Order: sequence, then structure tokens, then C-alpha cells
Amino acid sequence: MIQLSRITKAFGRHEVLKGIDLTVGKGEVVAILGPSGSGKTTLLRCINFLEKPSGGTVAIGDFKADGKHPSKKEIHALRLKSAMVFQHYNLFRHKTALENVMEGLVVVRKIPKEQARAKSISVLEKVGLGSKIDAYPSQLSGGQQQRVGIARALALEPEVILFDEPTSALDPELVGEVLEVIRRIAKEGITMIVVTHEMGFARDVANRVVFMDEGLVIEEGDPKEIFARPKEERTKQFLKRITPEASYSI
Amino acid sequence: MPGAKFDIAYVFDYFPKLLSTLGLTLTIVGWSILLGLGFGFLVALPRLYKVPILQRVSQVYVSFFRGTPILIQLFLIYYGLPELLKLVHADVTRTPVLVFVVLTYSLHAGAYLSEMIRAGVTAVDRGQVEAAYSVGMSGFQAFVRIVLPQAFAISLPVFANLVIATLKDTSLAFSLGVMEMTGKAQTLITLSQHFVETYIALAVIYFVISFALEKVFLLLERRLLKHDRRETDSGKRFGWRRAPSLRGLLAKTARAQEGRSRA
Ligand SMILES: Nc1ncnc2c1ncn2[C@@H]1O[C@H](COP(=O)(O)OP(=O)(O)OP(=O)(O)O)[C@@H](O)[C@H]1O
Ligand SMILES: [Mg+2]
Repeated sequence: MIQLSRITKAFGRHEVLKGIDLTVGKGEVVAILGPSGSGKTTLLRCINFLEKPSGGTVAIGDFKADGKHPSKKEIHALRLKSAMVFQHYNLFRHKTALENVMEGLVVVRKIPKEQARAKSISVLEKVGLGSKIDAYPSQLSGGQQQRVGIARALALEPEVILFDEPTSALDPELVGEVLEVIRRIAKEGITMIVVTHEMGFARDVANRVVFMDEGLVIEEGDPKEIFARPKEERTKQFLKRITPEASYSI
Repeated sequence: MPGAKFDIAYVFDYFPKLLSTLGLTLTIVGWSILLGLGFGFLVALPRLYKVPILQRVSQVYVSFFRGTPILIQLFLIYYGLPELLKLVHADVTRTPVLVFVVLTYSLHAGAYLSEMIRAGVTAVDRGQVEAAYSVGMSGFQAFVRIVLPQAFAISLPVFANLVIATLKDTSLAFSLGVMEMTGKAQTLITLSQHFVETYIALAVIYFVISFALEKVFLLLERRLLKHDRRETDSGKRFGWRRAPSLRGLLAKTARAQEGRSRA
């Protein structure tokens, strides 16, 4: 279970997060929606301390860290319990797909090489890249790179995987294959927080949708409910803007 | 025309004589690059990590060694440093000239190497470091396992240039009386007056070594950059490929970063 309490974050004098509470149960898939600049990425990055919150607490499982004054050990512990899939994949460019997935297992988790290798291959097969394990990122399409990114996160068996707009850097024809993989692992009961602009995906896959604006959670609830009958004015505005008929077809 | 009548035999005669001092020349190059890397790292780090005062000091050091002729640096260090050291009562009159020479070349190379290291490290995009953190690596692990190997591969063409430039620069060490190859050439000329033959032999040797170094670095570079080559690389057919331009790489990084900076 992930529990964020009163998370705030300011860049200089710019208050980006204004006190966010969010609880995500085990096996739950939560989609975070909201207009550009509303603080979705920042919130996600506060969970694994790629960004240090200005206040609040982050808890994953039975481990809790103070947002403002975390120790190195606390940050490390949170990062061991989480994994992240990035908008721009952020693969290690000098390593093959297999090495990208193995890296964390071997270097951080200290799993013996052979074991890590076997595990990584099986995860890469799971995301449909069994035949590409020796390819470098530069030899892969965007969709394939992102699937390596997902495999890298998955192999760590974290308590939660954080996705930051995993498909928004992809060519439209490659979006489907990546969403399909995410959909599949969601079904396996892996806890996920997904920042996305793919409304169809949020509606079909998420157990819960959280709508953010200007650093606050405006509304949250069952996706079908929120898409059909948003209560807050800002949610309505946002949905009207972002979901003209077309995107429902996904 | 000065000197004795041209006689090709001297060229061949002088090859082995000049080559007998090649060891010294390469020693100067080797130590200068090795120490230069040390200086380079020391100087690059404060600038990479924006350490307030040291950053300024680094900048001044780099500007000085890049902005003045190496011959003058040689003289300044050879004649100036002992004077400075006298102030703290250190006597260096017995220190071999070679030490001053290597010190100058390594400080000189260090200035360029620090720029190279800085550019190489910043060319590895921040996103990869964040990915490394996200899987639980420490800052040190991320630097050593993710940033350095890529920075090294990116920097190799610049590094190769610098090694070759240093090799050629060592020919100035004779002005302090060091008997490296060019120094040896001077003595041969004084004895025989066969200027042209001597310089031909000398030029051939420098050229062959530079050429060989260039090839070795190219091989190394190709191996290290294999991850950045697409299957359809046309360079493969010709057995070579263009060195990636640092500016291109920096531009690419800047674009990537721009893409990521969330507005
Ligand atoms: N490192 C930073 N320094 C300063 N300001 C930042 C930084 N990162 C984000 N911001 C600001 O914080 C605000 C929220 O950014 P964030 O990236 O979290 O938004 P977002 O909801 O993810 O937007 P998008 O949908 O465009 O990705 C923006 O105004 C952004 O300019
Ligand atoms: Mg974002």
C-alpha cells in the first residue's frame, strides 16, 4: 500500500503541489489525469524522491519517510520498493535490452548474474521482446524501447510501478503495443500509478482515476463514474477539452 | 641554401639515430596524458558540481593554459616555478628538466582534458541518471556505471586529438635542452649540417606514430560506440565511420532535455 500525506512541493517560490493526499491499495491501478503543469509528474517523482517534497510524508508498505528531511537510507529504501517508467524511456544507451533489465538486479539487488539473466530474459519475453534481448536502445523502435523500460521496472518486482506518460513520446501507431503490455501487467495485480493522457486507457484499465489541477486533487473515484458524471467544474472542462469523441475509441 | 648538399642516404642513416630517443618522447607523452587526466578530473569536478569558488579557479586555470602558447608555458614553469618555490625555501635546482617539461605538458593537457570530461559527462542525458536512481543505484554507482562509460566513448575522438597534439608538442621540449627526438635532430644537424634530410626523417617518424595512434583510437572508438550504431551503418562497408561531433551530441542532449523539462 502506498500512502502520500500532505505532500507539498515548491520550486523556489512556485508552489507546484499544495498538499496532496493519496492512498493506493495493493494491486490497485490508479490513473492520474490533469492539465499540463498541474503537477502530475512532480507528484510521481516525489514518491521515489527524484524530487524532494517540501513537506508531507511518503509511505510504501510498512516503510515511511519524511518528505522534507529524508535520510539517504530512507530514500534508498523507497527506491527499492518502487520502480519508474519514464516518458522518454531513459534506457541506458550503452547497454543492451537484457543488460538494461539486469543492471538493477545485479548492481542493486545483488542477485547472482546467472539468476538475474534468466529472470530478465523471462521478463523481456513477457513484454514481447524475447528476440531483441541483445539489441541496443538505438536499434529499437520507441515502442520497443518503452517495453524494455517496463521490463526494467517489472524485473525489480517492486511494490509499485510509477508510470509517467509512458506513451506520450511515441508515434501514434506504437502507442497500442505499449498500452497492451501495461494492461496485461495490470491484470496480474501489480500496483501501479499511471500518469496518462490516454483517456480510453484510464477508463478501461484503472480501478480509480485521480484528477489533479494546480497542485491539488480536485476529484477522484471510479473511472466510469468520473468520465460519465464528473462532479467538479474543472474536471468537466478538462474532459470536454481532452476527449472529443475520437479518443473514446481506443 | 644552408648546410651540406642533399644526400638521401642521411635520411636512412638518421632514422635509427632519431628512433633511439623515441622512448623519451613517448615517456613525456605518456606521463603528461596520465597526469593530465588527473588534473583534468580535479578541474572538471568543481565545474560539473558547481562548487562556488573552486569553479572560478578552474575557469582561470583552463583559460590560462588554453590561451597562452605552450612554449611560453614551458619557460614560465621552468624559470618561474623555482623562483616561486624559493619563497617557501624549497630548492629545486637539482630537479631534472624533464620534471618541469612533464609538469607543463600535463597542466596544458589537463586544461583541455577537463573541458573534454565536462562535455562528455554533460552529454550523457540526465534521464539515464534518474533511471539509475529509480532502480536504487547510488550517485557513485550511477556515475561509474552509467555516465562514465558513455562519457568516455563520446570523448574518445577529442582524447585522440589531444594525445596526438601532445606528441607533436613534445618537439618543443628541446628548447629547454631535453634530448627527445627533436632535440636529437638538432644535434645531428649541428654535427652534419644536413638539415633537410634530418627534418625529413623526423617528420616521417612523427607522422607514422600519429597515424598509427589515430588508427588505434578509431578502432577503440568503434568498439566503444557499438551501441550507437544502427544495423544499416553505411560506414561499415568502408571500414570507418565519422567521429560523432561533440557539438551534435550536445545539441541532441539539449533537445532531449528540453523535451523533458515540463512546462
Ligand atoms: N525542476 C523544476 N524546476 C522548476 N519548476 C519545475 C520543475 N519541474 C516542474 N516544474 C514546474 O512545476 C509545474 C508542474 O510540473 P509537472 O511537470 O509536474 O506538470 P505535469 O502535470 O506533469 O504536466 P504535463 O502534463 O505537461 O507533463 C510546472 O509549472 C513546471 O513548470
Ligand atoms: Mg508530466
